[in-house]
Amino acid sequence: MDATTVSPLAPSPSPDGAAAPVLRCEHLTKRFGDRVAVDDVGFVVGPGETYGLLGPNGAGKTTTIKMACGLLRRDGGRITVAGREVDHNSVAAKRAIGYVPQDLAVYPDLTARENLRFFGRLYDLRRHELATRVDDTLDLVDLRDRADDRVDSFSGGMKRRLNIAAGLLHRPSLLVLDEPTVGVDPQSRHAILDSVHSLGSSGMAVLYTTHYMEEAERVCDRVGIIDRGHLVAEGTRRELIELVAERDRIELGALGDLDGLCAALRRLPGVDEATTSVGEVHVLAADARHLLPRVLEVAEQQGVEVSSVELVEPDLEAVFLHLTGTALRD
Amino acid sequence: MRAALLIATKDLRQRARDRSALVLGFVAPLAIAALMSVAFSGTTHFHARLAVVDNDHSPLGSALVGVLRSPDLAAVASVRQLAEADARSAVTSGAQEAALILPAGFSAAATGPGPVPPIEVIANPDHLISGRLAEAVAQGFVAQLNADRLSVQAAVGAGATAPAAELARRASALQLPETVVDRPSGQHELDAISYFAPAMGMFFLFFAIGFGARGFWTERREGTLDRLAVAPVRPSTILAGKALSIVVYGLASMTVMWLVTSLFFGARWGNPVAVALLIVDVVLAVVALAALVITWARTERQVDSLSSVAVFGLTIIGGNFFFISAAPTVMRRLALVTPNGWALRGFIDLATTSGGPRVVVAPLLAILTFTVVVGALAAAQARRLVVG
Repeated sequence: MDATTVSPLAPSPSPDGAAAPVLRCEHLTKRFGDRVAVDDVGFVVGPGETYGLLGPNGAGKTTTIKMACGLLRRDGGRITVAGREVDHNSVAAKRAIGYVPQDLAVYPDLTARENLRFFGRLYDLRRHELATRVDDTLDLVDLRDRADDRVDSFSGGMKRRLNIAAGLLHRPSLLVLDEPTVGVDPQSRHAILDSVHSLGSSGMAVLYTTHYMEEAERVCDRVGIIDRGHLVAEGTRRELIELVAERDRIELGALGDLDGLCAALRRLPGVDEATTSVGEVHVLAADARHLLPRVLEVAEQQGVEVSSVELVEPDLEAVFLHLTGTALRD
Repeated sequence: MRAALLIATKDLRQRARDRSALVLGFVAPLAIAALMSVAFSGTTHFHARLAVVDNDHSPLGSALVGVLRSPDLAAVASVRQLAEADARSAVTSGAQEAALILPAGFSAAATGPGPVPPIEVIANPDHLISGRLAEAVAQGFVAQLNADRLSVQAAVGAGATAPAAELARRASALQLPETVVDRPSGQHELDAISYFAPAMGMFFLFFAIGFGARGFWTERREGTLDRLAVAPVRPSTILAGKALSIVVYGLASMTVMWLVTSLFFGARWGNPVAVALLIVDVVLAVVALAALVITWARTERQVDSLSSVAVFGLTIIGGNFFFISAAPTVMRRLALVTPNGWALRGFIDLATTSGGPRVVVAPLLAILTFTVVVGALAAAQARRLVVG
């Protein structure tokens, strides 16, 4: 499937075109007074897919997922989860949603087990099934040995993991994570991202918001880029990069006839452009990783001594910059 | 309903782990009620220690002592006859609260045509009411004496033939009405603990307004309210659970107050059914007030401010810190603007009569009206509470 710039009039199709989407958002609009926070946003998330909403703070990510979870009334549009329409009273649709808010939404004066038992009961889990799910989920987030400790004695990373566990306990069809790694130490962040990746692999649909480009690239099958309330593009990482015609770059530090080397490289299949500056050669290509051995071979043939090689692949940061004219963290 | 119970149970579990909630709900009201009971115990069981000095050594002096030791005054005063110096010293030290000093020559002056020297009353400044009592007795005695003198003079002037002494005896038999009466207005006397047990119970119950409102805002701030709202429960169920936890906490707090002060402090609460109805009514008013604070506040700081205004404003106006019956008329009327003022009126009626629920129909209806009005104001803005 090709990456697309998103028409505001219709949601994007299901990623594989076959399985019914777990989450379908159409024409979502939300205003706060005169300000339009979300403007005609549409996307779908299929089973087993991890969909990332990538955008800077204030882009409309949290507003979008709050509407998707029935936490915020929408001014326009339609949302279905597992085929059921979502609003704040739609008990059936909400049963299919697991929500992990950005805040540490657990009770600090209860133990980890008490927290999970409480949330599990709200989803009608009872007795043996509840006990089993609680233990399994505590195992999943590696908190079993602290299950009966009060949460206010936990580290920030442990609280984050419990926060995720509370959203997973009832095994939802759709897991919504709102910037779950904010303020987390690198080790916990790594564990959280691994968990998210494995959840997607297990068949759960995951909607993941972040303003960290690296996270979106690491865990998301598809990414929707959102800016100032608009979904400006969506697709896989490669599709998005192709969409904006961003190319890989090979940077060579070199001594010798650099102009001659550039001329030779321009004749090489796969090379889009080759230029030189003082002591350096810059090569643009669609797939630099595959091209690199041939480039070094040509340099040797030209008698150019290569002192350094740098491979620069475009990332979602570059895509975002291209699409919005601003950096992701501006 | 099950989800509401779950939420209420969770809230109560959290509250049970919060020492301040336990102290404010159970320990403090009992302690303060007991302290205020001790502090105000002298105001309901008044008893004066009076001294009398008879410098006249006459039948009139004996008559004055007789008046002071009469059965009518025995309930409110103990009387010792002392020499003048001893009496003055005893009043100064506080051993006696007031003294009446009958001057020498009083009888002679009273039976002659000249002016009668006054009966001197001295009072310890810490016992002004005892001093007032002594003054009232002295004035009554002199009034009775003047009435006797007037009667004899009138009889003699009208040509009565009986001896003057016989006329005086007959006149003195026609006593002026008593003015010092110690009689409760109801069937039972209202003692301090019977007033301050419900008064302090309600004062601390009102702190549940702050607990409830702050708990809701804490859930909102920490994101747990969002997590509840995403769960398969309706927003109204979440609010019902929150309200239920306040009801259970409030009922537990007031019931403990009722039982402990009845069993260990001798408080008289009255008919149990009527007391239970009043407690439930007041607790519902507290729930409505908590809802109003939640909906009106825009920040957690505002929650604290509004809760404090509600707690202290209502309890001060309602008369929870003083005997409302001793307050000026305007305060007594203002108290009936508050649910606790009405409730106190109900509790007083129950404590001083043997009446049942009928005695508290008016307070029950007044509190219910307050609850409905406040609840309606809160409900008008409740829509935005759980879902934005």
